[in-house]
This record gives sequence, C-alpha cells and structure tokens, in this order.
Amino acid sequence: MRAALTRDGILFRSILVTLLAFALVGFATLAYTVQTARSAAEEQSRVRLEQLLDTVQSTLRVACFVKDQELAREVASGLLSNTEVLRVTIHEGDNQLIDLQRRRTARPDAANALERSIHSPFIEGDVIGRVRLVPDPEAIAGQVRAEIIERSLQLTWQLTLIAGAMVVTLLFFVIQPISAISTELHRMDPTAGDRLQIPAGHAKTEIGRLVRDVNALAGRLVHALDEEHALRLQREIDERKYHAIFDNAESGIFIVDRDGRLASWNPALARLFGIVVSEQAGGSMRLDALRWDKPEIIAELLDHAFTARQPSTREACLERTDGSRCWLDIVLSPVGDELLQGIAHDISELKAAEATARRQALIDPLTGLANRAGLEQHLSNAIRQQHRQPGAGFTLIYIDLDRFRLIIEGIGVSAGDEILRAVAGRLGTTVKHNDMLARLSADIFAVILLALHDDETIGRVTERIMAALNQPYLVDGSPVQLSASLGVTRFPDDGNDAPSLLRNAELACDKAKAGGGQRSEFFDPALAEAAEQRRHMENDLRQALREQQFELFFQPIVDIAAGRVAGAEALIRWRHPERGLVPPDRFIPLIEQSGLIDGLGLWVLDDACRQLAEWQRAGRPHYLSINVSGRQIPHGLPPAAVAEALARHGIPASRLALEITEGILLANIGEAQAWLQAVQALGVRVYLDDFGTGYSSLSYLNRFPLDTLKIDRSFVQDMATGNNAHSLVIAIVAMARSVGLQVVAEGVETAGQLEILSAIGCQYAQGYYLSRPVTAADFPEVASEIDRRLATPGA
Amino acid sequence: MPTRLFFLLLLLANCPTVDAEPVVVVAAQQATERLSREEVANIFLGRYRALASGLPAQPIDQPPASALRSAFYQQLVNKDTASINAYWSRLHFSGKATPPLQTTEENEVIRQLLSIPGGIAYVERKQVDQRMRIVFEFMPRVTHESRVNP
Repeated sequence: MRAALTRDGILFRSILVTLLAFALVGFATLAYTVQTARSAAEEQSRVRLEQLLDTVQSTLRVACFVKDQELAREVASGLLSNTEVLRVTIHEGDNQLIDLQRRRTARPDAANALERSIHSPFIEGDVIGRVRLVPDPEAIAGQVRAEIIERSLQLTWQLTLIAGAMVVTLLFFVIQPISAISTELHRMDPTAGDRLQIPAGHAKTEIGRLVRDVNALAGRLVHALDEEHALRLQREIDERKYHAIFDNAESGIFIVDRDGRLASWNPALARLFGIVVSEQAGGSMRLDALRWDKPEIIAELLDHAFTARQPSTREACLERTDGSRCWLDIVLSPVGDELLQGIAHDISELKAAEATARRQALIDPLTGLANRAGLEQHLSNAIRQQHRQPGAGFTLIYIDLDRFRLIIEGIGVSAGDEILRAVAGRLGTTVKHNDMLARLSADIFAVILLALHDDETIGRVTERIMAALNQPYLVDGSPVQLSASLGVTRFPDDGNDAPSLLRNAELACDKAKAGGGQRSEFFDPALAEAAEQRRHMENDLRQALREQQFELFFQPIVDIAAGRVAGAEALIRWRHPERGLVPPDRFIPLIEQSGLIDGLGLWVLDDACRQLAEWQRAGRPHYLSINVSGRQIPHGLPPAAVAEALARHGIPASRLALEITEGILLANIGEAQAWLQAVQALGVRVYLDDFGTGYSSLSYLNRFPLDTLKIDRSFVQDMATGNNAHSLVIAIVAMARSVGLQVVAEGVETAGQLEILSAIGCQYAQGYYLSRPVTAADFPEVASEIDRRLATPGA
Repeated sequence: MPTRLFFLLLLLANCPTVDAEPVVVVAAQQATERLSREEVANIFLGRYRALASGLPAQPIDQPPASALRSAFYQQLVNKDTASINAYWSRLHFSGKATPPLQTTEENEVIRQLLSIPGGIAYVERKQVDQRMRIVFEFMPRVTHESRVNP
C-alpha cells in the first residue's frame, strides 16, 4: 500500500491528476460563477425593486396626482427602508417632489437605476410623474460575495467526495490486485508449476484476464524452455557424435576463413598435410601458405567458394614438410560467417592409376608406339602449337602394309605380331627422334614429321620408309617380303584439324594401294572430292535399296543346237529417279565396297526366283542365271538363303544358276570351295563367268565344282575363222567338253559368230545378235521372236 | 381602455332608464366658459384649485349618498363612490389636499355654488337654470352639438 503511494505509483498519479483536474474545474466554475453571479444579482435586485415599486405604486400615483410632498416623502422613506435601495427620486411633471438617499457618501450607480412613469390614478395613460430608484451597489456586491462563497464551499465538498471515491475505487479495484499479483509474480516459479491466483472478485474483470494471460504466457514459456532444453541435450549428443566422426574420419576435415587461415582441423587432415599437432594452438596456419605445386589453384578455390556460395572442388598437389608429395581432392563448402568447411581426400593413388590409364589409353601395347588416340592427341597438340607459333607446318604419313591379311593367314597371328613389332622398329630408324610414330590399327602405321614441309624432303623420307619396310623379315628362319602403301598429307595445306588430316592421308594411301601398292601418294584435293562423291552415291544407293529402285533385265541365252531360247542372264539396272537408268558398272563397285552388296544380292535372288516362278506358271522352261560377287561369299549369300528363296517361290533348283568369277576362287580358296559345294548340293548350277580373261587356270576346273563356263566376250568378238581367238574358243570348248562342262559364249553380235560357235560345238550363246537385255515384260515376246528367227536358217 | 370607456358612455347616454345626467356648472356671473374633462377631474379630485381665469376654484360635492354623486364620479373617472371616499381618506391624513366642499342635501349644492366665489359643482341637467352656466357635460345635447358643430 505504501508502495502505491510512491511518486511513480498509479494511486499517486491518479490522485495528482484528479486533483489537478478538479482544481481546474473548480477554478473554471468559480470564474464562471463570479461572472454570472453579478449579473444574476443585479437582475434579481432589479426584479425585487420592480416588485417594491409595484407595492407603492398606487400611493405614488396619488401623491403625484395631488403633488403631495409629504405623501411622497413617506413613500420614499418606505422604499429606502429596503437595504437594496440607495436613493429614491420622485418627480411630478417637471417638479421634483422628493429626493432621498440613504448614505450621502455612497456613489450611486446611475447605470442600474430603475425608473418608472407614474400614471394618474384616475385617467389611465395620463403620465403625471416618474419615480427613480437607484440600487445600492454594496448590497449587490455583498450578495455576489455570499453567492461565490456558497458555490465554492459546495464545489469543494463535492469534488472532495468524488476524489475520495475514486481513490478508494482505484485502491481496491486496481492497485491492490496489481500489487498482490506483482508480489505473487516475484515469488512465482513457473517451472515448478506455480501460477498466479486471480484476486477475489476479479474473475471477470480485466485484472482476471491479465492474470489468465500471464499464466498462459508462463505456460508457453515453460513449454518452450522444455523444448529448448531437450534440443540442447540432443545437440550435445549430436555434437559428441559428430566430434567422433570428425576425429576418426579418414578424410581431412577443416574449417577455413576468408583469409585462408585454418580455424580447426581433424587428425586426418594433420596427417594429410603433415601438420604438427601443436601448431593448432597457434591458429595462424594458412591454407594457401602450404607448399602447393600450384598455389593459384588454392587461391582460386577459396575465392570461388566464397563468391559462388556453393561447394567448389579442386585437385591440388602438395609437398609435405617431410618432403613427400601427395595429390589432394579438396572440397570447400560455405558454412556462413565467412567460413568454409573443407574436406580433403588423398587421391595420390587414384592420380597415379589415372596417369597409367591415360598413358595406356594412348599407347599401342604391341609395339609401344602411340595408338590412334595418341596420334590424334599428338596431332591436335601439333596443330595448336602451329596456331600459337606458325612455322613450316608438319607432315603426316599414313602407312598401310600391302596384303598383310593374306600374309597373316599364311604365317599365323603371332608371327604377324613379330613382323609388326619389326616394322615399328624399322620405322623408328627412319625418322628423327622428335618425329612421332603411331600404330593406328592392325597393319596401319603413321608418322608425323615435324617441321618438314617440302615435297622433296618428304619424298626422300617416304622412299626411305618404303625401302626399310621392303627388307625381308625372317619368320621362323624363312624370309617374308612386305611392301607398303604410303599416303602423305601436310598441315596446313591438306587439312586444318586432326580428323581431316588423317582422313586425307588415308585417301592418299588408298590411292597408292589402288595403284598397286609399294608406292607413296601425296594427298590431292580431287581425292577428297571423289571420296565425297562416293559418299553421295552410297547414300543414293542406300535409298535405292530402301525404295526398290533396282530392276532386273533379262538377256536371253540360246541353245545353239536346239535353235531356241534356253534361259537368260539376269542383269541388274538402277532406275534412278533423276538420272534414269544407271548401268551396273557405275554402281556395282561401290555397292561392293560399301557392304550394300549383301542386301542387294538377296533382293536379286528373290526377284529372280519370283521371275522364274512367273515363267513356270506361264509354261516357260527357261532357266535364269544371276551374278554373285566375291564379297557375297560365303556369308552375304548363304546357301541356306538360296534354298529358302527357291522353296518360297516353289522353283526347282536346276532352274537357277549362279555366275561367279575367278576372283572368288582366288580370294579364299577354302571358303569358296565349301560354299560352291553347298550350293551345288542344293542342285543349283554354278557358272564361271568371264572365262579366259584372268589366270583361267585349268586347275580350277578340277578343284571347284562348276557346271558351265562362260567364254568372255573379247574372244567371241575377235573370232574369225583361223585366227587366235578362234583357236582359243575351239580349245576352251573342247577342253570344257572333255571335263564335262558346258559352255556359254558371251557377246555374240553377228550371225557369223553364231555360225562359227555352232560349228565348233559350243552349246549356248548370248549377245546383242540375239537380244539385248530386256525387261521382264518384254522377255516373252523377245524369246518367241528369237525362237522364230533361229527356226528359219539364213534369216 | 379609453375606447371601452367610450362605448360604456355611449351605452349610458342612450339608455332611457338612466335619469341622472350630471353636468358641471358654475355661477353664471363667473368668467369660466368651458372646462375639459381633465380640468374637471383635477378640480374635483384635488389636483388643482385654480380656474383658467386664475380664480381659485371651490368644488362642491353632492351629498355622499346621492345617486348623482355616484354617477358623476363614475362618469368622470370611472370610480365608484367607495373608491373616491377611500382616496380622500388616504389624503386626509398626510396631505395638504382637501376634498370638495361637502353638502348634506341637494339644495345646498346650488346655494353654495351661487354663494361661494369660484364655486363649481355638478347638478342634474334639469336643475340647470339661468343662474348657472354649464362648463362641462358628459353627453352634449344633439342641439348643442348641431349648433356647436354645424
């Protein structure tokens, strides 16, 4: 309670404010009272005087009427007996009847004088005199004073009463509860479950609400404290856990600040960095002050991690204080407060393994030379070098051993590897030590001649290489002869990048090989152009195969003795949508090279069988021969596929003939033989085409199962009675007959040639004299026409 | 009030039952010719006691109980006899003003009028003769009127 009365207490303040307010109200009220009391007093005085005059009016009238001074004096004295009247003056007409004043000393207040006319008592409206009363100002002043005193007293006790009531109210309804709550709050321990009591009678007041709010707040605070406590416990556990991880981790873990100073680190990092533990106390270790191979990497890493605000990784090589070196993978992640958390792994072994792998990836294990990747890298380096420092350029030589595959087949793979190693050794002796050697694939090598550009020198080098490689190699004591084709490209004339240099060198080498091998060719842009054209053509052919732009034409083959058409040779044509009909010699070589030949061959087989089936249905007993390329044997046209096609179209195998060339027999004797036997076992006949142009070895006729020879058109066309060609044809026919082979003469263009062949005893003929190749639609007509023509000799 | 008074007078004048018709007269030899109602009232109620001629006037009242007296004051100042008596009673003690000369009988009025210099009295109209002159009448005769206001 005493506390409530201190200067800062609510009670004290309230009382002060109330008193001030009341003083203000009191003064204002009194001021108003002073102001109004006077006029009210004057007004009241006037009213009273008026009433006073009313009481003496009739006497005054009479007095004036009769001008009776005595009577007037009597009336005036009577009026003066009223204390409020100071002076009375009565006039009759213009004559003053009487003028009486109470105290001569007092100054009459003329302003407030009351004057009234006096009428005749007998004639209304007849004014016969006037009376004038002057009120006594002292009397009025006294009244005013009394009034003010009374009002002041009244106001004082009223205000005192109200103030007292307020103080009591405040004390009992506000201050006492609050101080009780305050005392309780001081004693209260919320965590022990203490809560405030609502003061009696305050259950529904603001005090009650306040107490409830405080209690609720205390509850929430206690709850929050409990949670915080639990969290802190959990955090301590976590921290111990993380500390264990930190201490026991294999990786180096550390904290580094913006300046590169290491704030803390774990034992693993100390081991990695070779830091002595006591240095940790100093805390002045700087990450970038360690002996890095490239300190700028660390500076850049720090900078990047801080500016990018995300984890950054670098690999760096560190030299430890003990002199050992190790590769570290360092990851820095921002953790706020201008700090980075770092993790360092020892990647020395990984680096070493990587270097080995990289080396191995670039090196050919057999010869120890660079492989293709190594060459390409070296080329790129050389090109970059040239760009940085333009010089004389350099030269790339592409070396392909001629017919190396055939040799391998003959001597075996391991002997081949021996030879390749020897080739690598010999190449090494032909170039300078800073030139580069590479083995690109099995029998392909390459040389980069640095700072060498003029054709003459290059020519000397290629001669030297060829000469070196041309020396016999001793395999198991017997000499093996090798030759090589070389393609030469020069940077920057023949190509600006490694792939084009390599491609162009290969093109040049292909040209050398096409020229027979054992030679070198410089790259010629025309080669690239031709290659480009070939690529175009190849695309066209692929499309042609997809869109079935190919078509079979048929050239009749005549049984000379019987004088009628026995069969036909199927010849492929390409009906190009823009270029029209393309002859086979324009696209077959490319088809063979590109590997499209297999697809085309199967299509030809299928289409021929379809045609045979059609003829069969039409009652035509003709056979049909199709050309088979050496590339189709043995896998491009497997005997099973032939059997399947025949079966699918329901054709006897004897109706189909396959024409092969000598090259097939030469290329792979074993495979060719097996394939021929399989085909013949089906009942399909085999023709040897273009007989007489190549080796025309008679041993073939013995070794390979053949049915028919086709004498090359050159013999037939040159044939005249008695000449060499004539004799050769006679000999071939005779020989064939002797080994049981039939003969077809190709290129018959005149009736004379047909007669000669008939005379010789050649069984079959084919050529323009009989018919050009025709479409399937025209064939029946052409065949009938030939039959008619041959039936009438001399036509 | 004067208007109402006027109507009342008019009523009285036309009423045949009113036989008392006082007129104010003076002795014929007096110089006074005419008096206003106000002059009459002033003289009879003690305000002035002088005539226009300068002579002091002596008003003479009819006997207190006479109907004429009552009618006179009633018509003159609209007061009944009691009021007039009270008036004079008040003045009697304090003032110098004196009431009109009191008579005891009707005949005495004319006698006093003729005998007292400056005498002035009110009589019934029919009592007026050559010895006296009418100086004020409440209801002038029509003849008089026609004569006075042609």
